[in-house]
Amino acid sequence: MKPVLKKYTLTIVSAVSIAASLLWLFGLGWTLQDQFTANEKFEQPKEKTESATSKKEDGKLTIFALGDSLTRGTGDADGKGYTGYLSDLLKEKSEQDINLFNTAIKGETSRGLLNQIQQGEIQRQAKQADVVVMTIGGNDLFQQGAVLESLDMNAINGKKQIYLRNVNNIYKQLRELNGDAVIYHVGLYNPFSNLPDAKTTSSVVRDWNFETAETAAEYENIVYVPTFDLFQLQVENYLYSDQFHPNKEGYKLIAERVASLITFEQKGDES
Amino acid sequence: MINLVRNEMLKLLRKKRLYVIALIIAFLVPLFTYAQFKEIQDQREKMGTQDWRTVLQQEITDTQNRLSSSRIQDEWRKYLKIRLSQQQYYLENDIDPRAPGAPTFMRIFVENSIDLLLPLLVMVIVADLVSSEASGGTIKLLLTRPVKRWRILLSKYLAMLLSVSFIVLSVAVLSYGISGLVFGYGGWNMPLLTGFAVSGDELLTDNVHIVPQWQYILMEFGLVWYVCVIVGTLTFMLSVLLRSTAAVMGIMLASLIAGAILVNMVSSWESAKYFFMVNLNLTNYVSGMATPIEGMSLGFSMAVLAVWGLAGFIIAFVTFSKRDIY
Repeated sequence: MKPVLKKYTLTIVSAVSIAASLLWLFGLGWTLQDQFTANEKFEQPKEKTESATSKKEDGKLTIFALGDSLTRGTGDADGKGYTGYLSDLLKEKSEQDINLFNTAIKGETSRGLLNQIQQGEIQRQAKQADVVVMTIGGNDLFQQGAVLESLDMNAINGKKQIYLRNVNNIYKQLRELNGDAVIYHVGLYNPFSNLPDAKTTSSVVRDWNFETAETAAEYENIVYVPTFDLFQLQVENYLYSDQFHPNKEGYKLIAERVASLITFEQKGDES
Repeated sequence: MINLVRNEMLKLLRKKRLYVIALIIAFLVPLFTYAQFKEIQDQREKMGTQDWRTVLQQEITDTQNRLSSSRIQDEWRKYLKIRLSQQQYYLENDIDPRAPGAPTFMRIFVENSIDLLLPLLVMVIVADLVSSEASGGTIKLLLTRPVKRWRILLSKYLAMLLSVSFIVLSVAVLSYGISGLVFGYGGWNMPLLTGFAVSGDELLTDNVHIVPQWQYILMEFGLVWYVCVIVGTLTFMLSVLLRSTAAVMGIMLASLIAGAILVNMVSSWESAKYFFMVNLNLTNYVSGMATPIEGMSLGFSMAVLAVWGLAGFIIAFVTFSKRDIY
């Protein structure tokens, strides 16, 4: 009985293997044909599918964060940054689920951010947001401490003009994308306020903050959140070991300040 | 000839190796299925959303942040850059490259097993095809038959080809069948992009086109089969040259693993690209990944593999027909 069974399996296995060989050979041939001959240029779909357009997820507060390393959370031991603590605080306060989308990139300048918000997916997320938080300008101004060495006022003013123009465009673009969401622009602080040149650097930072706030004031629902005062005294206690980014405590300070500004009645009006 | 091949297939089946291989795959697939399932779940929890666009965007931003860190190796930076532009391309065209489903799992599974796992499985089958007859003494019986030597070896070679096809098929069937229980069996028509070319750290998209996933998978399995046949041929050659099956396995194992290690560190040693084991990852060309060494392409890798395979084939047949058996 047994040998018969074996012969039967033998035939089946062989037949299956032969069929499989042909199939794989065909696949291989198709690969060669597909990869080595020029294909007609694939056209990008003109219309996005329905779900790709903005559709808010119900019942959740969506925070959209963009900007530079501060929004990313560089220097925070837990890696949360002020956005993380902010969403924790809001979750407690509102007992609501929070979606946090953080698209910040370390070292981003105002120019980089302006380029970033041209991307389709970023725009889609901006449309969905209930709250937008951002930081920008730190890298325009400080550029890893380079500005400290020269303190050339002409160069700094030149940079300021470029920065302000970019910020203005960023505001405009965000407002066009999303007319309802409040934008909280978290301001600059002076990480060098305990160094010899503190007087000059602080006045530069104050100047940038003032001008940015003026730009923000031209738009509806853009709140420029000051942080200068938070770091004015005892700056070393709130800075990470790189003496530039905030540490955990510093981020918590920023988060508390932003959290106190976000009110929920107004969110109720929106939805 | 057919009877000779039949005979060899019978020997193979007697040894039950094919079943063991299938069993190994059947054990591994649930493992990876579970791992991927956990990953998807974890991602959903962390992001609080099921929208793949948001998840992919987040990944892009994370990569951008890693790129802006200065303590990053050059090769790794290149790899990240290429993956980044590819992800961006997928996002812009509104295509989710990882929509869960059994076909997607299948695709990711073969892409990850083409350079080590599958060659190892093939090696296990092929290693003792000839050497066991030599060490067991049955080779004398075989060669006293009134059949030319090359025909005997060819029948063994054909049996090897058939078993390679069988292994690849069982990978396909088992990975589809088992992962489908978790991810569902649909998704064959999902569009995917192929035709990316890499030049330096730039991703060229001139020849990018859409193929449905079933075609993509068929293409990848064709490449997998090709790689397995080449590895099988080389193992076959060693099996002819050496009497000890353990030695055959040892040499193949060493070179395959050496290949897996080399791929990660040879970018500055250019002539390493002529080793067969550095060229095994053919599916990477279809999906558009960074090549381990500058100047490698699908055509190049396939040609290198073909040369190795052909050389192995010729050496095996010449040695076998000339050797004295005592």
